Amino acid sequence: MFRVTTSLSMLVLLGACGATLPPQELVDARKAYERASKGMSAQLAPAQLDTAKQALDKAERSFEDEGVDPPTPDLAYIAERKAMIAEAAAGKVAAERDADKADKMFKDAQLDGLDKAKSDLNRERQAGEKTKAELENEKKALSAEKVARAEAERKAAAAMASLAEVAKVKEEARGMVITLSGAVLFATGKYELLPIARDKLDEVAKALIDQGYKGILVEGHTDSKGKASDNETLSLKRAESVRTYLVSRGIPSEKIRATGLGSSRSIADNGTPDGRANNRRVEIIVEPLK
Amino acid sequence: MVRKLALRMLWVGLIAASGAACGGAAVPQETLTAAQAAAKGAEVGGANEDPKAQLHLKLANEQIEKAKKLIADGENEEAARVVDRAQADADLALALAQQAKALRDAKDADEQLGKLKKKLNQ
Repeated sequence: MFRVTTSLSMLVLLGACGATLPPQELVDARKAYERASKGMSAQLAPAQLDTAKQALDKAERSFEDEGVDPPTPDLAYIAERKAMIAEAAAGKVAAERDADKADKMFKDAQLDGLDKAKSDLNRERQAGEKTKAELENEKKALSAEKVARAEAERKAAAAMASLAEVAKVKEEARGMVITLSGAVLFATGKYELLPIARDKLDEVAKALIDQGYKGILVEGHTDSKGKASDNETLSLKRAESVRTYLVSRGIPSEKIRATGLGSSRSIADNGTPDGRANNRRVEIIVEPLK
Repeated sequence: MVRKLALRMLWVGLIAASGAACGGAAVPQETLTAAQAAAKGAEVGGANEDPKAQLHLKLANEQIEKAKKLIADGENEEAARVVDRAQADADLALALAQQAKALRDAKDADEQLGKLKKKLNQ
């Protein structure tokens, strides 16, 4: 009797609507399956997606046979869950892949970091060894330089000692002044060097070569006898003779110059023979390095 | 006449006996046990640590309780359908819990990688 009533009710409904509407559970199940099949499940969880499809088909068949009556809503409810399970399974696989990828990158980065640390260490070690070798070389060079300097100083001191024997040497504000008597360098009224003058100038040149200096000035001086202009000319020519000779003995020409001062800077009394003899002279001024 | 009556009574008796023996549908004890085990498995699998998984675990447990009542009331056929629903929810709760755990692990791995890269670049 109940079944007859239900069937009659369905016929009335069909007559009114044209077709039976599916239960909400089936609507939800269809949507869930569609979403799962369009997502990652087809690739990452095909077995679960297939199970979901079978469950949905079963619910659809039940709907065709039984309409909205049980077990259609229950089967649709289960089908919806199966589709959701397929989605969750695919999500799990994707997350596991991401984690594996990150783990691999982590290990690679660790290895890269280790390699970098190793190469840094090697580089530092090599740099340390290089520095050690450089220090040794510098030490050797310094030691050699010290020896060379001591030798140069010894030579210079020896040369100055020799020079002191042939000329008067004194320190003034303008530099070291080496005074050579005109009598030993030139004949009276001449400006060519006497043979003995060459020996003395050789000593001077030897002493100067080992000295550090900014420049050398050769000054010619005369006594006050005769015309001043003649004296100036003679003093200049004598100074130039000395300059030329010193250049020939190795003093750089650009560092040595000559000037004639005549009797303008007398150092002794021109009224006596001894005084005049002292005034006739050549002064070599060695200008010090600043 | 008496014989006819006796025969009718026998039929009625047989029908009544068969009804008592089967009770309509059978008690869905096996599927109920399976659904209970699945719910327990989902719980152990971390369903309570993820809101969506927790929701479906709750649905599964509620349906298990409902099925038990239906069985007690002799509504075995409906109980069987409710048990099937419970099983589906328990399975879904476990799948969601596993997905959530995999996502957490992936996030952790990514964070560790980020920290290492930052450290190496210092």
